[in-house]
Amino acid sequence: MTFHRHDLLLLLYLLLVVGGTLVHHPLILGAALAATLLSAGRRLGTLARRMARAALPFALAVSLGYVLMARHQLDQAATVLLPLNLRVLLLTALAFRILPAIDLQRALGFSPTLRFVLILATSQVLTFRRLFRDFQDSLTARSPRRVGLLAALRHGAATSAWFLARAEHDATEITQALETRGYFLDRR
Amino acid sequence: MHIPDGFIAPQVYGPAYGVAGVLWTVGLRRLPRLLDPAAIPRLAVATAAAFALMMVTFPLPGGTTVHVTAVGMVAVLFGVWHGFLALSLVFLLQALMFGDGGITALPINALAMGLVGSLAAVGVYRAVRRLHHATALFLAGWVGAVMPAVVVALVLGAQPHLAHDSAGNPLFFPFGWDVTLPAVIVPHLVVGIADGVLVLLAWRALARTDKRADGRTDGRTDQRTDQQTHGRAGDTP
Repeated sequence: MTFHRHDLLLLLYLLLVVGGTLVHHPLILGAALAATLLSAGRRLGTLARRMARAALPFALAVSLGYVLMARHQLDQAATVLLPLNLRVLLLTALAFRILPAIDLQRALGFSPTLRFVLILATSQVLTFRRLFRDFQDSLTARSPRRVGLLAALRHGAATSAWFLARAEHDATEITQALETRGYFLDRR
Repeated sequence: MHIPDGFIAPQVYGPAYGVAGVLWTVGLRRLPRLLDPAAIPRLAVATAAAFALMMVTFPLPGGTTVHVTAVGMVAVLFGVWHGFLALSLVFLLQALMFGDGGITALPINALAMGLVGSLAAVGVYRAVRRLHHATALFLAGWVGAVMPAVVVALVLGAQPHLAHDSAGNPLFFPFGWDVTLPAVIVPHLVVGIADGVLVLLAWRALARTDKRADGRTDGRTDQRTDQQTHGRAGDTP
């Protein structure tokens, strides 16, 4: 079994995640976070922004809730929240630092079925994401005021039905395309 | 349920990966052996559809929005097995490609939403559909949102009991069940209503689309073959 760059990067990322959840000392976690951010070089600002956007809503909600509950023991709250938040920020920063460099389809090449499903799913996901944004923009453009709950429900239902019909149509089309190319011959 | 990395203890995500890993392996090995050649493309497209459905949002008072879980809809339309695999792939793509939710929360979300949610939704749908089809669809959507919330609340609330230092301070998610159960479940009782209504309306919209398609083909029978629809848990709309 030979390993390629993408397999190794994914393995490294997973090992770092596991390692990050085994460390509880704030100094080590803080140093690792600083090293991860500094390793981004000129893209430090972008990395920090993406990290904050992804981790802060959940981390802030948890931290504020805990501070409110333990308001008479703020020392104890700090003991709990400092390593917790440093770990959350570190692992989120690692994700944004390492994962963009990994070609997921190559990294998951150990299972041909998984890779095949992922390639198909990713292409569909990217198309559906763009179409979903188009649908949302069209709803916003047609609504002079903020979209209400009823309009959102009707729009959501119509969008969902459209996506499901499109998904079925695409599955048929892809299957027929694969069948004509003999993909299923060696799998029966 | 987009839990970032760092809140789940290794004592929890390790065994969760073990259980989910066995189910993923069995599922992926089963796929190519299925006689149905559309099984793999259907799974891929079900994944994309689940991903798109999770983007559907509804406004809440105060200017915020909430997105549906789509668990009930995916499970009822594609079946438990495809639902589990499709939702697992959605979480994998969200975690590794879009930075939405952590890799340590992935097996918990897959088991909670993909397995428990799908099983509950399909179970309720099958139990109630003979009595009242519309109610069955609504309940499937509602249960598909609420049951995973119960599981996630139980898992999150277990963190301080399973992982703490010598002084008893929690090392990961710091709240117990007294906080997580109401905090996670109560909002999902409302999200479940949106999910239920969405399943019902989307089913009806699909049925209208099919009728129009039948009309365009001069009354010919539905073009979809058994092969395309056999993955569904229930009737074709």
